[in-house]
Formats: sequence, structure tokens, C-alpha cells
Amino acid sequence: MTGLDDQTLVQRALRADPESFGELCRRYYPALVAMADSILLDHHLAEDAAQEALAEACRGLKRLRRPESFGSWLGSICRNVAKDMLRQLPKQRNLGRDPPRQEPACEADYRAAALTEAVQQLPPHQREVIFMRFYNEMSYRQMAKVLGSTEQTIDGRLRRAKKSIAAYLRRKGLGSHGVL
Amino acid sequence: MPDENDNWLEPLLEDHMSREPAEFDFQQWANKYPDEAQLLNRGYEDSGQTTKTRIQFLWRCIMQSRVTRYSAAAVVALAMALVLLGPFGTPGNGGVVLADVREKVADIETMVIRGTKTFMHPGDDGDVFEFDGMKCEFDLVKHFSKQHGFTEKAYVHGNLFYRITFNLPKQQTLIVFPPYKKYLRFASTDEVAKILEKFATPNGVFDLLLASDYKELGRDKIDGVEVEAFEFQSPGPFREILPKPVFDIQSYTGKVWVGIEEQLPIRIEGNLVIGKSLMTVFNELNLHEVNVLDKYNIELDESIFDPDPPEGYTEFTFSDILQVIPAEAKAGAAFMGLVPAGFLFWKRRRKRATTRPT
Repeated sequence: MTGLDDQTLVQRALRADPESFGELCRRYYPALVAMADSILLDHHLAEDAAQEALAEACRGLKRLRRPESFGSWLGSICRNVAKDMLRQLPKQRNLGRDPPRQEPACEADYRAAALTEAVQQLPPHQREVIFMRFYNEMSYRQMAKVLGSTEQTIDGRLRRAKKSIAAYLRRKGLGSHGVL
Repeated sequence: MPDENDNWLEPLLEDHMSREPAEFDFQQWANKYPDEAQLLNRGYEDSGQTTKTRIQFLWRCIMQSRVTRYSAAAVVALAMALVLLGPFGTPGNGGVVLADVREKVADIETMVIRGTKTFMHPGDDGDVFEFDGMKCEFDLVKHFSKQHGFTEKAYVHGNLFYRITFNLPKQQTLIVFPPYKKYLRFASTDEVAKILEKFATPNGVFDLLLASDYKELGRDKIDGVEVEAFEFQSPGPFREILPKPVFDIQSYTGKVWVGIEEQLPIRIEGNLVIGKSLMTVFNELNLHEVNVLDKYNIELDESIFDPDPPEGYTEFTFSDILQVIPAEAKAGAAFMGLVPAGFLFWKRRRKRATTRPT
């Protein structure tokens, strides 16, 4: 079943073959979690969002007009679910009531904190590709499928994202010529 | 071409962000989403979707419908305002000349109609549908005014249960539920106004009836008045008014008695078979309605058609209905027809009352 394309799996799922839908879930779940994490910045919530997205996709599967585009359709659902969840998060998260930051204990901590900040300051579509690429080492092809873009577009976004991260780190005194 | 940052940044990002691939456990997911798992097991070709998915599907139908997308509230209100059996139709032409009747109807400025509306379970001896112990039999009083619009009042044991007011000049519809001091009001868009006009004006209903098949039943007498009777059937023209998933009129038969001398419809009886649809919350129901022309061309006070809610009433929101629909549908006890919102709200109020701490 793992060798079957999305279109076949969708068609089978529509004809009372739950395992086909299970295969689609297994195929896209890691990408969905990465995508949701890029929005929610919380791994556990990201898993919840990915599962909810799969449930929504299950409910709406019959409406999918182009089964071959299942991946990008699912990706859009997941993005929306994660955004909805973000809106519903307790307000204190958005009001800066997070626990007070601890001073980095060592250089590695400082670097990790700077990297986290560098990724968080990216625009959503760039943060998305960074998460997907480095979270699970997804290939450009896999990413393109979920994002509904071309590999060239993904490559361009990744380059711009990395450039932006590098610039941020340099401003923090880190980078290829810094303390790293 | 490799990025200038790749050499140092890529390993750093990989090290910082890399995670074990998230494993998907289908069984666990299926336990978390039983309705969806059931849907997958049953297959999508089966029309018997779960209540949850069916409600969602129907709701999408409502929102996607050309007719209903303008106002979700209007959908409910329209079902409540169905004036299918106003005494305006006469499809015959024997002793009664159709063109004359139509002309007379068109000339009428105001009317008062009295009647009954009864919902029953299907079957020849179907019992009156009950909701929470209340028999769904209503006494009706309708006021029509070419200038101001129409109202429909429904009474249960002499107590006003709902009043629908469609104010024509202001294009406002108001539905009030006196037992709960609640109201629903919305401005009618052009589309909605057009639909309401089909139901609520003599000419509109007349045209609908004329589009039906009919046969002459001959002469008769009603309360000493000589009449000519006609039978009509065909849900066609009515079916087009609301989408089938919203209000599924499966068959529609009726009789019209037209006064020979007055050249006006004096009495109309109608029977509708309504299939499982949103407005019946998936109940199959029969509706029997009788309308009798009481008075016409009399002075009607403009205040009868006042579209403002009475003092002390609060707004009944459509989201209230949506919150309740799935639960009610599952229980198979809900009833939505001409007074769906009222019943549902009633049900909710009872629930709240029983759960309120003492």
C-alpha cells in the first residue's frame, strides 16, 4: 500500500477502505506536525492540530475534487486548524506573561536561544519551510507536495529564510565568523 | 548552487531543530475521532452519514445555496413563514373562471384568515407529533395587507406560541416567541424579500398554485355558500423555494373551494409530506393545514405589522439553534417545522432548568 499514489489511496478510502486513509495519514503526518509547529511553536499542540486536520480531511474527503492534490489540500487544512488554535490559545501567551527568561548558562544555551529567536522572527511562509526542512529532513519534493508549490519556490523560500537567520545571528555576534 | 550560509548554518539548524519523525498511530486517532473512523469504515457512498457529518454537510448546503446564503437566519425564518396554503389559489375554470378569480385576488387589499396547522407522524392514522409532551396542533390567524405585509400567529390552547411578521415596506421580518420572550429579526435582502413575497402575497401564492396540476371536483356547499372545488397536487413549484436538504416537500395535495358568487377562494385544505431534512431534524412528518377566509378588504391597523420586538424580549440567535441541532437530532426527538427555533429553545431552557443548582 505504501507504493500507491495519493489519488488511488483517496479513491480507496472513499470506498470504505480505512487503511488507505491510514496510509495517507502516515504519509503526511510528520509534515503536518512540522507545519503546525511552525505556527503554534509548541510540539504537543502541533500534534493535536495535525490530528484535527486529518479528522477534518476525513470528513471532507468526498468534496476533494482533485485527489491527486490531496497533500496540498491537507496542508491547507492543517494551516487553518493551527491558526485557529493559535487564536484560541490563552491570552496570557500573547500578553507576554510567559515565564521570565533565564539567562543562558553557557555558550550553547545562548546559541540555541538565538537560533530559536532567529527562526521565530521569520515571516510565516519562511518559518514553515524551515520547520519542514529541518524538523524531519523533508525533501524538497515532499515539501512541494504539502505546500502546493514547486521545488524552485521552496528552494527560494529556504534561501531567503536562511539568509535572514544568518543575518540575525550575526547581529547577535554569532555566525560563521563569530563564536560558532 | 550552494548557499553561502549552507556550510555553517545548515548543520546548526539541523542540530537545533531536528526531531524524531512524528509517528502516526491510526488506531489511536480512530479512537479519538470515532465519528470519522465510522465514516471511513462505512464508506462515503453510504448516505447514512453520522449525525455530526450530516449536520455539517447540510449546513454547508445552506450556506452554499444561492437562496439561503444571504442570511442563515432567514432559512429558519422562511421555513417558519411558509404560507403554503393561503386562500389565494384556484386552478379551475368551470363555473369559476380562473382569470376572474385571479383578478379578484389581486384586487384584495387586506385579508384575515383563520385555520389550523397540525403536524403528524406518517401513516393513515398518524398520531399528532408531540414534542416534550406538547401536541403540535396550532390554531392560526393570518393577516394580509397588500400595503404592509403579513403576519401569522399560532396558538396552542389559546396561548400565543409564535408570531411571524413580515413588514413589506421596511423589508424586515420579525419572529417572536412569547412563551420565552425571545425574538428573531432580520432585514430581508432583495433575494429573501423575493422569496417571502412568493409565500406572503396573494399573487405570489396564487402563481405557485397555478403552476400545480389540478382537477375539478365539482360543486359543493360550505356553510350554505355555493362553491366549486378543485384538487391540486405537485410539489414542483414549492420544491424550488427551499433546497431539498433544508426543507424536503415530498408531496403536496390540496383542495380549494371557490365561492361561485364571490369568485374568491373560501377554504383551502392542504397536506404536505415532508421528508427528513434540516427543518424537520430528520423526522418524516405530515403537515395538514386548513385555511378559511374570514374577512377581506377590511381596515387593518398598521401596528399589526410592526417589525419591532416587544419590550422585554431578547434576541434569539441562530447560533443557539446550531448548538442544539446535533444533540436533538441524535435523540430523534426534536422537531423543526414552522416553529423550529421555538421548540429547540424550549428544549434548551428545560435542560438548563434541570441542571441549575438549587
